[in-house]
Amino acid sequence: MSSLKSDLRLDVTGVTVAYSNGHVALHDASFALGPGTICALVGVNGSGKSTLFKAIMGFVRPARGMVRISGEPVRVAHKKNWVAYVPQSEDVDWSFPVSVWDVVLMGRYGYMNFLRIPRAEDKRIAKESLERVKMLEFRDRQIGELSGGQKKRVFLARALAQRGRIMLLDEPFTGVDVKTETAIVDLLRTLRDEGHIILVSTHNLGSVPDFCDQVVIVNRTVTAFGPTETTFTEDNLANAFGGSLRHLRLDHTDSPGAKRNEFVVLTDDESPLVVGENGQLKRHTSPAGGQQP
Amino acid sequence: MIEQLLTPFHYEYMVKAIVVSSLIGAVCACLSCFITLKGWSLMGDALSHAIVPGVSLAYLAGLPFALGAFVSGILASLCMGFVKSRTRIREDAVIGIVFTTFFAAGLLLISIFPSNMNLKTIVFGNILGIADADILQMLIIAAITMTVLLLKWKDLLLYSFDPNQAKAIGLNAATLHFTLLALLAATAVAALQTVGACLVVGMLVTPGATAYLLTDRFGRMMIIATIMGATTAFLGAYASYFLNGSTGGCIVVLQTALFLLALFFAPKHGIVASRLKARSSATALSLQLPNRLQVSSEVA
Repeated sequence: MSSLKSDLRLDVTGVTVAYSNGHVALHDASFALGPGTICALVGVNGSGKSTLFKAIMGFVRPARGMVRISGEPVRVAHKKNWVAYVPQSEDVDWSFPVSVWDVVLMGRYGYMNFLRIPRAEDKRIAKESLERVKMLEFRDRQIGELSGGQKKRVFLARALAQRGRIMLLDEPFTGVDVKTETAIVDLLRTLRDEGHIILVSTHNLGSVPDFCDQVVIVNRTVTAFGPTETTFTEDNLANAFGGSLRHLRLDHTDSPGAKRNEFVVLTDDESPLVVGENGQLKRHTSPAGGQQP
Repeated sequence: MIEQLLTPFHYEYMVKAIVVSSLIGAVCACLSCFITLKGWSLMGDALSHAIVPGVSLAYLAGLPFALGAFVSGILASLCMGFVKSRTRIREDAVIGIVFTTFFAAGLLLISIFPSNMNLKTIVFGNILGIADADILQMLIIAAITMTVLLLKWKDLLLYSFDPNQAKAIGLNAATLHFTLLALLAATAVAALQTVGACLVVGMLVTPGATAYLLTDRFGRMMIIATIMGATTAFLGAYASYFLNGSTGGCIVVLQTALFLLALFFAPKHGIVASRLKARSSATALSLQLPNRLQVSSEVA
C-alpha cells in the first residue's frame, strides 16, 4: 500500500450535475485532495452536497467536468476496489436478514470469484476488520439487533475489509454515542496516517475542527475549499449557509480579558443548548449576520 | 386405504401436474425471497397480469407462449420505469395504470380472437390440462431461473440490500436490476399456467414472507422458502385431485396456512413470541418497580 500512497489523489474538476427534470444541482465544482487527509464536506440540505458525494461515488454522471481518482475514472477506481463507502444509517434496511459477518464479507466481494465464495484470506481480513472496530463478538448478530454506534461500526468494518484507499462516510455521527464517536474519530485518524483519503459528509459542524484537516463547503458549487483553520470560518460558513444556519451570538463574559468580547454558536439542523451561570442563559438570538441589539 | 391415496399417481396428467407444480413452486419460492425483501410484491402482481397480451399474441403468431409473455412483461416494466421517471405520479399509481392497461389489452385480444385460447386458463391456470410443449417451456424457464439464482444469489442479495455498495465495488447495478426483473417476468410466466394470473403473486410472495418470519439469515430463508414452495405445490396439486377443486387455489391456500402458522408461532418474529417477550420484560420491570416506588415515597 505504501507504494500507492504517494500517488493517491482525488481530483474533482469543474463538475456540473443536472437532473433529468433540468434542475442543476451542482455547477462547476472543483477541489483536489492528496494522500493522508480527513476532509469534511459541509453544506445545507439541497446545497448539492449529496450530489457531489454521488458524483464522487459515480452514482450520477456529471454533465460537464470529471472526477478522477489517482488519474483514473471513477468506474475504473471501483473495479479496483479503491473507493469504500459507509452509508448513512437511514439508508440501510436494518430488518434485512443478514448478520454482522455477512455485511463485513460484502466488503470483500470485489476480491472474490464469480460465485463470491470467500477464501481464507477474505475471512482473515473480515475478522481483522471486525476486531479493529471491536465488533468481533457480535459477528453472528442480525444487524437490526445492534445499537446505533455498533451499527455504524459494522459498516466501518465493511469499508476496512474492502481495503479502499478513499473512504467516503455519509453522516457518520448521527445516532452515535459520544464514546463511539471518539472511537470512530481515532480510527479515521489512524487511517489518515496510513495515507488514506477520508471524505466525511456531515451536518455536525461542531466536530469538524476537532478531526478534519480540510474542508469543502458546498452551496450549488464549491464555495470554499482548503485547510480547516483558514477555510472553516464564520464568513465562509455564513456565505454558504445563509439564513439556514442557526446563529447564536453570546456575550463572552467568562473571560473578560479576551480580545473578542463575545462568541458565536453556528449550528445547522439541531439547536444547541447553551447553559450559562446557574443554569440560566442570557442570550441574544438573531438571524445569520443579523444586528446585535 | 394406501391404494386410494396413491390413485392420483395412476393418471399421467396428475403426475405431470404434480411434478410441474412442485418445480414451479420451488422456483417461485426461491425468487420470492428477493421479491419480498426488495419490495417488489406489487411489481410481481403487475407483471403477472401484464404478460397476458403477450400470451395471446404469441398464440396468434404461433410462437412459444413463454416468449410472448416474457417480452410483454419486460415491455410493461419498461413502461412503468419510463412513466415513473418522467412524471410526478407515484410508483404504485404508475404500476396500477400500466398493468391494468396491459391486462385490458390482453382481454380485448382474447375476446376478439376467441379461437386463440381459453381466458379461464390464463386467469385461473390449468395445470391439469398442460400440453407437453408447454411443459418443456416451463422446464427451460425453471432451469434457467434456478441456475441464475444459484450462481448469482450473493450479487443479487447485495444489490437488494445495498445497491450503492454493489456499485462501489464495481458491480453493474443496472444489469443486476434487469436480471432480477427478467427472472420475475420468467417465473410469472411459468406460474401463470399453474395457478393463473390472479394467484401468481401468491406463489411469488408468500413463501418468502413466511421464511422471513422464521429466520434472520438470508441463506436459510432461501432454503426454507424453496422447500415450502415445492411441498405446498406438491401437496396442493395432489389434494386438488380428491377435492376436485382448483389446483392453484389448493396451492395458495396451503401456502397461506403455513404463513398464518408462522405469523403466530414463529419462534422469534411471531405474534405469540413477541407478546411473551413484551410480557416477560414488563414482569421484569414490575419486579424492579416496587423498590423505586418506595424510594420516591420516602423522598415525598
